[in-house]
Amino acid sequence: MQILVRLAISGLFLLLLFSNSPAYGKVYIDIDSPSFQKFPIAITEFKPLGPGAATADFPVWFADTLSRNLLITGYFNILDRRAFLEDPIRAGITGEGTRFADWVTIGAEYLIKGGFQTDGRQLITEFRLFDVVKGELIVGKRYTGTTDDKNRMVVQFANEVLQALTGEPGLFDTRIAFVRKTISAADIYTINFDGSDLRRITNYNSLTLSPRWSPDGRQLAFTSYKDGKPDIYLRDLASEKTEKIISYPGLNLPGSWSRDGARLLVTVSRDGNQEIYDMTVANRLLQRLTREFSIDVSPVRSPDERRIAFVSNRNGSPQIYVMDADGANVRRLTFEGNYNTSPAWSPKGKMIAYEGSVNGRFQIFVISEEGGNPQQLTFAGGDHESPTWSPDGRYLAYSVRGFGRSRIEIMNANGQNSRVLHEGNDGCLSPFWSSHLR
Amino acid sequence: MKRNLFWVGLIALILCLSVTFLTGCAKKAAVKSDTATTQEQKAVTKAPSADDQAAAAAAAAAREKALREQALREKAEKEAAAKAAAEKAKKEAAAKAKAILKELQIPDIHFDYDKYNLKPEAQAILKAGAPAYLKYVDYKLVVEGHCDERGTVEYNLALGQKRADEAAKYLADMGIQKDRIKTISYGKEMPLDKASNEAAWAKNRRAHFVIFPPVK
Repeated sequence: MQILVRLAISGLFLLLLFSNSPAYGKVYIDIDSPSFQKFPIAITEFKPLGPGAATADFPVWFADTLSRNLLITGYFNILDRRAFLEDPIRAGITGEGTRFADWVTIGAEYLIKGGFQTDGRQLITEFRLFDVVKGELIVGKRYTGTTDDKNRMVVQFANEVLQALTGEPGLFDTRIAFVRKTISAADIYTINFDGSDLRRITNYNSLTLSPRWSPDGRQLAFTSYKDGKPDIYLRDLASEKTEKIISYPGLNLPGSWSRDGARLLVTVSRDGNQEIYDMTVANRLLQRLTREFSIDVSPVRSPDERRIAFVSNRNGSPQIYVMDADGANVRRLTFEGNYNTSPAWSPKGKMIAYEGSVNGRFQIFVISEEGGNPQQLTFAGGDHESPTWSPDGRYLAYSVRGFGRSRIEIMNANGQNSRVLHEGNDGCLSPFWSSHLR
Repeated sequence: MKRNLFWVGLIALILCLSVTFLTGCAKKAAVKSDTATTQEQKAVTKAPSADDQAAAAAAAAAREKALREQALREKAEKEAAAKAAAEKAKKEAAAKAKAILKELQIPDIHFDYDKYNLKPEAQAILKAGAPAYLKYVDYKLVVEGHCDERGTVEYNLALGQKRADEAAKYLADMGIQKDRIKTISYGKEMPLDKASNEAAWAKNRRAHFVIFPPVK
């Protein structure tokens, strides 16, 4: 599947329309700052650039699809097209025919214009992003493909817009794995960042839990009871082959991968008590990291892979601890609350997200990797659990359950703009965000 | 099969004919012999003619058939008796096995929230349950660790494993060989009571014991 996507993408001939303005790639605004204001942006209906087949719905389709893709990032305030002053018939889609003052008047800071041309199944599209205040083109692209590629063209340009305005490409090529639990079974599913393309990965009529995406996005490690006990499996997503990799008596749970995909942190009960080990995936050799007669579980690596955060109850209640990569130098990170679990280390470093109990309900927190000053990010009713960072560290996905419903939500890392990724009557649990998949 | 049917038909026909013949023409002879039990037997003793010979053969065949049937009947009866005996034995064995299972069954033990230490009442239950396993050494045991719905999936899997481990260790200390006891954690994934209240949670924080009889 991934290969298919990759082929399709490379099939899009990508032409730079104009030499990039110097502004390209520069970060305009620090979107991670708490005072960040959304980008006010106007997106016009796309113009037919020549005679072509019947494509009456294209002008609105392109504008709407691009709007939707930008909207879910949480960074944009999309202006209502009915407020536009410019006459779309007379105005062109280049900077020359654009009266920027009209756009400033209605409050836009950015403007996207575009056009398309069809010839049978052939489709050529042009997209331009303008800085309205400066009256400059920021980025312009022309894509050539077939009408089947139009969604991919929009996503591609949305990535360009995000790269230009935020310094990072979008997350449209990432997926989120999670567990869907019914009365009799739990299985792993994956879904796109925008909530589309839900896929079922396992179907064992058993309990299958704790999905952990490999860094290259090609494999999922997970625990399944499919052979009667909780063992660790590795699923190759392209070939759909599944291999049992760890099967000690008792509990076997996967933790986080190393960035090169060569090692996987695991919790296993090999030595009589459950402990955290670093496993070399190729030969399954285990290096023991913890030696405590307590619960030690849910290990995650720091982005520099020098430290590991994990959950332990060695002082009575479950708390987040940090140790060196070899298990030395253990120190406690969380002190507030009597139940702090599921650490997730931001890929940008510095912050660790986790869930903590507040008045008997779980909420998502972040804390500095040095400890101290935990910040609560969610406040709604229900239990908010299992935070996972997007690969750019700008979003958190987590599960919410309560009131008979269960869902996976995504919010910006500052706790704003939460949206539902997937919702059901079944349990939606343990989300885990992939890397960029192409 | 068809051939057999033909012969049976033929014999039956001959029998009928001989019966009409004898009752019609040899009434006196029949009256004479009171001791005869059947008309066929009379025919055999009284009529050594060609027709009589055929009748005699038919009668012999019939007798043989009767004997064969009786033998079959006896065999079936014997088999039924043996089967009944076997079933009885099986039932007794099942009852015995059931009694053993009952003897081996350890009731669920319960834990405090986020704890895996064995409370005194749990220890009492294990102390009472262990001796049966010393008596029936072929039986094995799986200890399941369970948690209530509160808290994280993974932490609860770890907690359930701890609960199972603690109970298993206690039973091993009571003298049950370690290799007869397995542990498995289901975390909070298999609650007994799905309600979200203290009573349900208390019920769900448990170690459950599953007996594995010897494989024959």
